Amino acid sequence: MKYDNILTTCPFCGCGCKYYIQVVDGVAKSVLPCKEDPISEGHLCIKGWNAIDFVYSKERLTTPLIKENGAFREATWDEAYGLIASKFKEIKARDGAKAFGFFSSAKTTNEENYLMQKLARGVIVTNNVDHCARLCHASTVAGLAASFGSGAMTNSIPEVEDVDCFLITGSNTTEQHPLIGSRIYKAKEKGAKVILVDPRSIQLASIADIHLRQKPGTDVAWLNGLMHVIIKEGIADEEFIEQRTENYGEFKAEVMKYTPERVEEITGIPKADLIAAARMFANAEAASIIYSMGITQHTTGVDNVKSCANLAMLTGNLGKPSTGVNPLRGQNNVQGACDLGALPNVFPGYQAVTVPENREKFEKAWNMAEHIPESIGLTVVEMLNAAHDGALKCLYIMGENPMISDPDITHVREALDALEFLVVQDLFITETAEHADVILPGTSFLEKDGTFTGTDRRVQRIRKAIEPLGNARPDWEILCDVAKHLGSDQFVYASPKEIQDEVASLTPLYGGVTYERLDKEGYLQWPCPNAEHPGTVFLHNGKFSRGLGHFFPVSYKPPAEEPDKDYPFILTTGRILFHFHTGTMTRCSPKLNKEVPTGYVEIHPSDAEAMGIADGDLVQVSTRRGTIQIPAYVTRKVPEKTVFIPFHFKECAANMLTNPALDPIAKIPEFKVCACKVEALGESS
Amino acid sequence: MEQELKAHLKKLMASGDVAGIIALKSERGMAKPYLFADASELECLCLTPKYPMASVARLLLDEDGAARFAIVCRGCDERALRELAKRHQVDLDRLVIVGIPCDEEMARECACPEPFPSVVAVGTKLEQWEAEDIGAAYRAMELDEKLAFWKHQLEKCNKCYGCRNACPMCFCKDCELENALWVKHGRLPPEFPIYHMIRAFHLAGKCIACGECQRACPSDIPLMVLNTLLREDMEELFGYVSGTGADAENPLYTKEEMQ
Repeated sequence: MKYDNILTTCPFCGCGCKYYIQVVDGVAKSVLPCKEDPISEGHLCIKGWNAIDFVYSKERLTTPLIKENGAFREATWDEAYGLIASKFKEIKARDGAKAFGFFSSAKTTNEENYLMQKLARGVIVTNNVDHCARLCHASTVAGLAASFGSGAMTNSIPEVEDVDCFLITGSNTTEQHPLIGSRIYKAKEKGAKVILVDPRSIQLASIADIHLRQKPGTDVAWLNGLMHVIIKEGIADEEFIEQRTENYGEFKAEVMKYTPERVEEITGIPKADLIAAARMFANAEAASIIYSMGITQHTTGVDNVKSCANLAMLTGNLGKPSTGVNPLRGQNNVQGACDLGALPNVFPGYQAVTVPENREKFEKAWNMAEHIPESIGLTVVEMLNAAHDGALKCLYIMGENPMISDPDITHVREALDALEFLVVQDLFITETAEHADVILPGTSFLEKDGTFTGTDRRVQRIRKAIEPLGNARPDWEILCDVAKHLGSDQFVYASPKEIQDEVASLTPLYGGVTYERLDKEGYLQWPCPNAEHPGTVFLHNGKFSRGLGHFFPVSYKPPAEEPDKDYPFILTTGRILFHFHTGTMTRCSPKLNKEVPTGYVEIHPSDAEAMGIADGDLVQVSTRRGTIQIPAYVTRKVPEKTVFIPFHFKECAANMLTNPALDPIAKIPEFKVCACKVEALGESS
Repeated sequence: MEQELKAHLKKLMASGDVAGIIALKSERGMAKPYLFADASELECLCLTPKYPMASVARLLLDEDGAARFAIVCRGCDERALRELAKRHQVDLDRLVIVGIPCDEEMARECACPEPFPSVVAVGTKLEQWEAEDIGAAYRAMELDEKLAFWKHQLEKCNKCYGCRNACPMCFCKDCELENALWVKHGRLPPEFPIYHMIRAFHLAGKCIACGECQRACPSDIPLMVLNTLLREDMEELFGYVSGTGADAENPLYTKEEMQ
């Protein structure tokens, strides 16, 4: 008998917990926490503990499928590749590269994201490549890049334990990033202050010193209000502002318009609480802003992010341990997918496609005859819109499920059905894959090698623990095979290690990242430009990536859709502890599914009572986009006139309801606010 | 101790008496439980940090219905194996226990009641060891303070089930913690105090004070306070200390549990 423990990185959230997979004779038996991993320290959340369930699910796709006469049939890899190659060539010859779109995946490895954008840019020759970061932190990438020059979490997870004052907003940390949430508790035990700004009374509310429950979508107003108080009371960090930043004057003129009285009117946050929070944050030794989707998923997402950046600069909380602006990335490798250029505007390492030298560099490296377009490509939502309009004919989706994850699902379905050719590469026949012409069976994190980059810019290995199931193949191999069938000779790699070597040669951010070092050092945090560089624990030490930090004056704009007499409630959406995103991986885990087998709508007791709704009753929730029926969860977690729906569940999909209105810069949809109505159905679920 | 242990295990392996040795292996600077089947691999053997080795033994004995293994055991590992054997979860006849003692630092970290196994194969056991009384501060509290203490502690629970998953004594296929009759599904934190009380009471007569539950807890809930109090009750009420005395019958053990 052979028994071993294979050290790998968790495929769920962005914490980047490493743990062991106990393997007996080639079969993964269970997860064993790794006590020496610096992130998990031998602890895991319920998803981590149950991370192998989905791998062995009976629903796993283990052979390629081709759709014929409306039904899928099993196919060989050669058949599938042959069909893809002939359709791709036909469409490219007829409609050009602009008719193509590529959805890369925050679930797959860095190497696979690199290959996906290389396939798009280097073989089809389009910048139409994007991934679900568009739906989560596109506003962070754009906003922090503008303010600081680098669009990522400034500090590191272990530093959270030593924060003196937290501003946690739009992050349900204990549910979405449990191993960061646990560190907030540790800091609290050591005496840290916790300011929570969240409309919902989440688990962290029980330890919050101040809980501000803003009206959803009013974040710029309260952030400006905090800064107004800090400036007015003379507790800003003048020295930091003077030495490290620019454009303070213009910014100050804007925030001085946000008196606590005005902020109370817009946000509903009592004036006295706002003032207390401002003092608490500004007077702390090391204050840290932790945020997530509650800040980013708005039509003012970039404005919200820039406001967080302003607050950190105003109080000098940057470039030091246990401070910073800390966007928590939701997926295991959403940071990496961005880093590796699965974005329509940048090559790997955020090298802009609009810069001629960058294009020349990659054209040369990839031995291209054609020229990469100088204009940026389409984003996820724009590609679907282009498909809907008939301009985009062919879409290749790897490990994404827009039929659940994207706003306004009815529109998504119409867009997918309007395509001439859809390739989906996934572990399961997802709601999206059902619309495909060809489905390619990829592999899970247990069946391949590669790297993930966690939320704190931490590049870590995943290691193959078991052989791919059935005829499934590692995603990097599939991408290479597709490129070869399209005639490219630039996709020859013996292993993901060789792909990373190519990435390092073209990407200064990852220049010093090698498999040898990752094996020896356990992780490397970017920027890590060369073999001697130790990696970067926190950013902007002494100097911002862009030189001086830039204060952007930001004015409050209301959400795209506000409650009215037809749709009197605010609907806000999000994740829960027990499930992940579109449920593809977690809903086939018996332990996770048992905890929460279906969706629900959180509704305040007084609203429920007014409509005669009891806990567990089936209710109808409608917006201008659609209608769903869903069980009610009557709870004080939500404020009055606001309802919350987790988006994991296809049978009561929150994204039937959400508003596809976009942030003008980041093109992120406004998942966090729209107007809805709730009606009693008079039935128990 | 490490070199001496390696020599001891090489001899054991050469004897052909065991199919493999369950112990920790150092790989890329980190320890992991491993089944050593080849003497040359023993160079990578290491001793720390602690891992729940009894659980590994149970897994491997189940996977291979016949083989005999050696296992490097600390005091807690041996206590766990004994208690598991009483419940027919491991067959001690198929295990060769190679006992090693804990040093003072490790023993203190665990507040271990007995930081050495019954037979020490390699190393020297601590003389004059007295464990810290981790229940003392709690016992000194007033009733309302006790309630406030647990409310505060258990509110931090992330419902990861890590305390149960890491516990060498939690072997039930159907766990009452997951039974909606007792604990509402899908709530965070789980209902106070039933979730943690079920686990504590189910460990009465089982907990062998290894501390794995507390170490597995992301929220630093002092679970060993609960467990220690129950261990004390078991001793006081029934004169039973779990994990000690291979022949001592467990007063709370029922046939139903065996099924």
